[in-house]
Amino acid sequence: MSSREPMWYCHECHAEMRPIMAPDPRCASCHGTFVEKIENPQDDPREFAMHGPGGDDVPELDQFVMGLHQLLAHPRPRSPTPRPSSPGTSPTRSGVRIELSRSRPGAGLSTFIIGGPNTLGRAPGDRDRDRDGPHLPGSPMFMRRNSGDRDPDNAIAGNVMMQYLISMLSQRPGQRGGDPLGGFGGLFGPSFGDMDGGRWGDYVFSQDALDQIMTQLMENSNAHRPVPAPEDVVNKLPREILEIGSPLLEKDCAVCKEQFKLGTEDPDEQVVVTLPCKHPFHEPCIMPWLKSSGTCPVCRYQLVAQPSQEHGPGSPPHTGGSSGRPGSPPNNRSRSPGAGGSGGGGGGGGLLSSLLSHLGGGGGSSGQSRSQSNANNNRDRDSEHLPGSWSEPVD
Amino acid sequence: MAAIASRRLAKELKEIHTQGCPVGIQLLSADNFEEWHLSLEVMGESQYQGEVFALKFRFESQYPISAPAVQFIVNERYTSPVHPHVYSNGHICASILGNEWSPVLSVIGVCVTLQSMLASCKKKERPPDNDRYVRHAPDNPKQTRFHYHDDTV
Repeated sequence: MSSREPMWYCHECHAEMRPIMAPDPRCASCHGTFVEKIENPQDDPREFAMHGPGGDDVPELDQFVMGLHQLLAHPRPRSPTPRPSSPGTSPTRSGVRIELSRSRPGAGLSTFIIGGPNTLGRAPGDRDRDRDGPHLPGSPMFMRRNSGDRDPDNAIAGNVMMQYLISMLSQRPGQRGGDPLGGFGGLFGPSFGDMDGGRWGDYVFSQDALDQIMTQLMENSNAHRPVPAPEDVVNKLPREILEIGSPLLEKDCAVCKEQFKLGTEDPDEQVVVTLPCKHPFHEPCIMPWLKSSGTCPVCRYQLVAQPSQEHGPGSPPHTGGSSGRPGSPPNNRSRSPGAGGSGGGGGGGGLLSSLLSHLGGGGGSSGQSRSQSNANNNRDRDSEHLPGSWSEPVD
Repeated sequence: MAAIASRRLAKELKEIHTQGCPVGIQLLSADNFEEWHLSLEVMGESQYQGEVFALKFRFESQYPISAPAVQFIVNERYTSPVHPHVYSNGHICASILGNEWSPVLSVIGVCVTLQSMLASCKKKERPPDNDRYVRHAPDNPKQTRFHYHDDTV
């Protein structure tokens, strides 16, 4: 290799060649784009494939990720530390750097530099020693030593990039959002189960990853989540034990849809809780609901102020609405025939009219409740946006 | 499955069998208290004339305290209706299936609401973020926290 022009190594077909520049470097034998310039003959990329912790049957990329992982698990020490005499045996070696060149059609040659320069925490003689010593199996071969001419400031960026890369590669299939690298997760998932401690997903470098972050953010947002009723409010609700002649015996519990009756198997079902809006429920039916949402299931009367609802706290109950079949929804405000809806036809008639009266504010009692919560309403409408979209908070 | 859930679902099922479903809605399968399938058709004049869709309901043990997971079935036989609140993977952005769910609602109640939602649609189009959502959507639509503010469709 006396030529001044270094040879290149193809990671796809493992050939050593001079690449075709078209204009990005491509392997002369397989036309792959994962090619690497062999700048330092001592640092032959083929060693990377031949040695490694997993033996020959481990896929190359696996070793690569294992190495990265090792690197992260043993971060570069801040101050110079005694180094083992045999370089390459310790994963805590400082100042490692990985350089990957990859050309993409139309995007030119991109080089990923992972890891920091070796100028920190290293004795000046270290580099030469490293070059001399053979790389032992078990050390990440691809941790190229820095040739020393890089800007030391890229250390942080390199680490971030590395963390990102690992977090992408180690994603397990079946995780929500899928695997951005399409399938790599299956290779590496099991060996990286201990990665949950880090927050490596904090940095994104692609649209795809950004989308995923946005999705996660949306899912975790609890701005519109119902507020449970406080315990003291729940405890103060009037309770009544059913007895012969009670007018409750003619009513239904809207949660289980059963009529109140005496002598039930479950003694708890003899206890009826009546909400301030006068809607009665079996105690075991309403309690779990109030723990998830402090509202009346029938009329949405708010026992505790709820976020971004149309009705303000304590707005009068909207009765008269669910008059249709037993299963009709009380007053769902969206996803319903909007103003001027052409009518659902069929069995939705009773429901439709109740919805329309609610939405349009045309109905008697509902109109009143709407005007009372007008301020709230307008605010809500100002911030209207399409459902399911990721929009900025307006207020 | 908690007793309250199976009792409630048994009652709903009995009602479907005795009273029948509203026009345009049919029970396809309800072999257990975990997953039911129903077909949905918009009657009368609408954007979806002649189209029949299928809905999948999945119930948790907390039903009806927790909303069922409802989505349109997308397979060789059924497609997801093209609607501004329905994603191409069948997920539905409807507040009553999320934070405006109420235990007063029922399987048939949800079907009727979705039927009305389709009936009132004026323009068949996908949600603007369909591609992005579908790419990363969780299997269970209940894991998605949709933003619902648009009452007009």
